[in-house]
Amino acid sequence: MVQAKIKSPQPYSRLRPRSTIDWSQYHTGEFYDEIISKSGRARPATRSLVEFIRKQTIKHLVSRQQAADLAIQEMGVTFTVYSEGQNIDRSWPMDIIPRIIPLQEWRVLEQGLIQRLTALNMFIDDVYNKQQILKDKVVPREIITSSPDFLEQCVGATPRHGVWAHICGSDLVRDSDGTVFVLEDNLRVPSGVSYMLENRAISKRVLPQLFDRNSIQPVADYPSQLFDMLASLSPRAVKHPEIVVMTPGVFNSAYFEHSYLAQRMGAELVEGADMVVGSDDRVYMKTIRGLSQIDVIYRRINDDFLDPEVFRPESTLGTPGLFRAWRKGKVGLANAPGAGVADDKVVYTFVPAIIKYYLDQDPIIPNVPSYLCVNEKHRKYVLENLPSMVVKPANESGGYGMLIGPAASKKELAVFAGLIKKNPRNYMAQPALRLSTAPTLCGNSIEPRHLDLRPFILQGKNHYVTAGGLTRVALRKGSLVVNSSQGGGSKDTWIVDTEAG
Amino acid sequence: MLARTAERVYWLGRFLERTENTARLILVRHHAILDLPKEVQPGWDLLLQVLGAEAGFAALPGAANEKNIISYVFGERENPSSIISSLTSARENMRTTREIMPSETWERINSLYLSVARRSQKDLPRGMRHTVLNNIIQSCQQITGMLAGTMNQDAAYQFIRLGRNLERADMSTRIIDAASAGLMGKLEEISPYRNVLWISVLQSLSAYQMYRLNVQRNVSPEDVLGFLFQSRIFPRAVAHCLAEIEHSMKLLPDHRPALAVAEKVEKRLASTDCSALVDSALHDFIDDLQLQLVDVHSAIVDNWFSPGE
Repeated sequence: MVQAKIKSPQPYSRLRPRSTIDWSQYHTGEFYDEIISKSGRARPATRSLVEFIRKQTIKHLVSRQQAADLAIQEMGVTFTVYSEGQNIDRSWPMDIIPRIIPLQEWRVLEQGLIQRLTALNMFIDDVYNKQQILKDKVVPREIITSSPDFLEQCVGATPRHGVWAHICGSDLVRDSDGTVFVLEDNLRVPSGVSYMLENRAISKRVLPQLFDRNSIQPVADYPSQLFDMLASLSPRAVKHPEIVVMTPGVFNSAYFEHSYLAQRMGAELVEGADMVVGSDDRVYMKTIRGLSQIDVIYRRINDDFLDPEVFRPESTLGTPGLFRAWRKGKVGLANAPGAGVADDKVVYTFVPAIIKYYLDQDPIIPNVPSYLCVNEKHRKYVLENLPSMVVKPANESGGYGMLIGPAASKKELAVFAGLIKKNPRNYMAQPALRLSTAPTLCGNSIEPRHLDLRPFILQGKNHYVTAGGLTRVALRKGSLVVNSSQGGGSKDTWIVDTEAG
Repeated sequence: MLARTAERVYWLGRFLERTENTARLILVRHHAILDLPKEVQPGWDLLLQVLGAEAGFAALPGAANEKNIISYVFGERENPSSIISSLTSARENMRTTREIMPSETWERINSLYLSVARRSQKDLPRGMRHTVLNNIIQSCQQITGMLAGTMNQDAAYQFIRLGRNLERADMSTRIIDAASAGLMGKLEEISPYRNVLWISVLQSLSAYQMYRLNVQRNVSPEDVLGFLFQSRIFPRAVAHCLAEIEHSMKLLPDHRPALAVAEKVEKRLASTDCSALVDSALHDFIDDLQLQLVDVHSAIVDNWFSPGE
């Protein structure tokens, strides 16, 4: 373990009349820091950022942060927090110090993400059709049949290009030795991409100087890439397929993003009640000219609520007949219903095997070692080591209902041990990773905070990976929870080409 | 264009116009009251009458004084016709149609909302009024200008214009009704000020200067009413608003049924003899005109917002 060095007996700042940022006061501790190496120096891709900050006063940085906060408020970049029965619209928290990844490293991760999504899509298509991987016992059949995300209704469906999960958000984390792992895949309705785009827009507003000094990969083409991918799913061979974004409505926590993506793609933003399925099984939307046919729906609503004829009958958010229209190939749905079967946290543990099985390749990005509580040996290990484990329910998202062993009280540990014993299929556990950190403006000082990264991967006819993704940062000291619903913030993420001029 | 989206932008147009008109109204009353001798000053409760907010105000505790009335029409969220309420609705309609609006217009309305929301937690003393209200008027004008300058002039734009002009026509009738109520067949004592009071009716609609330019005669009730109801060139005159509504309708699909309703209203208005509108005849005429505007609104709803129903 390397402690940051104390360079001089006198505080550095006292030697200078106008006190600028003193990096020697920044202690990375036992963690991998994305910006400052163990020896206390800037990493090669982060030199100009570190140098820039070194010349600033804390007052100036704080004023830039305030400018960013104000811009976010005025741009109305919000997310909704559900708590105590109330929905509260909060401004999106963004730290102005960017997180940097060298382009050379990113190229490898990009290939790893494409590899992973390709294999996952082959897996989903197989599970709903031939089930070869189950017959070959690479993935135990009961894992699939017992999964609430395996939808009987989808068996035999053949979406275009054999792709089910068209938009994937995979969470990447870096451990203390610098290794990057995939923590989880989100194959249902992953959110956050609009914040990635807005973070960049805000950075450019408040710190334009930094963009001259670095060769930063642009992120702005995501909406047009998304549009092209969606267009490749159109069942009609028309020049301009009608693409819509389907939202559960203005009260949804990600409504901002639904509206943002519709706007950037020039697509209609529809709610379930705006659409009808005709007796010809085609989907129409209600326009001021009457009914108009839809080719592809980017739905931002869960499977359960999609179609009351097939799923929850009491739900009013969906459109009756939508599932039928999709099964008959009259409309494209992204992501396809049933795709969630592959982002189950239990299936996650089989992803390396899935990649090997379909692609005959080793995974480029490793999984975090995982223990399935349904397995007796694993369960015993998890229960014995609970204080150093992270336990997750198999089918929850947003960080709800998980246990972080090192931060949990004795009582919480006991409660979770009980839960695991009661319903082992529902839980998996991983050793608590020592997530990497990056310098973050915390009040009047710069301190390391833990973070992760959610890149977005598209697959239709072709593949696309965002340049970087959404960096989420735990704003509380020592905290490992990065979810915005639980006090997390975000950072602009730069893929920097160190070999460019 | 989705019928639901069309309806929301129509209401956006209405609420944005209502926000601006209410700010104008308060500002003009504020100046008028400073101008007039106490004995003929129309009370602040005139504001409540114009906005149809008397009952709501009476239900709350607090005397009907300047401070309370201004607070009620400016920043009271319980009052559906206050500036903050109209602006909240305008913003909400814009927020839920962001996907089709130029993003700068959203930022403008959002920052206007944030500043009014902050201000509305406090009083609006005389010293602040001009600055605050003028800022609202200018911001609304900015948004209208941004829309004109940056938005596709397609169906969505026409629905905003429909909302704006219908709201404006309605507000003009309300203002004329309330402002002239104290002027008809009234006591001797107001006669020296009759002229000033008719001028203040014009001012309530920001119409005095344009009236002068156009009419070039002394101020007479007949001319004032003719100008405010029937002018084809003054943007806040009811006839002008109706012409704008018809123009927008003609640019929308399947417009015949709705257009017929608007044309009928316009024709009746054009054939009215304004010199006959004295005393209660004026009030009855305005009541009738307001009902006809409601018919235009219903025709828009039936024509475009309820497909397949």
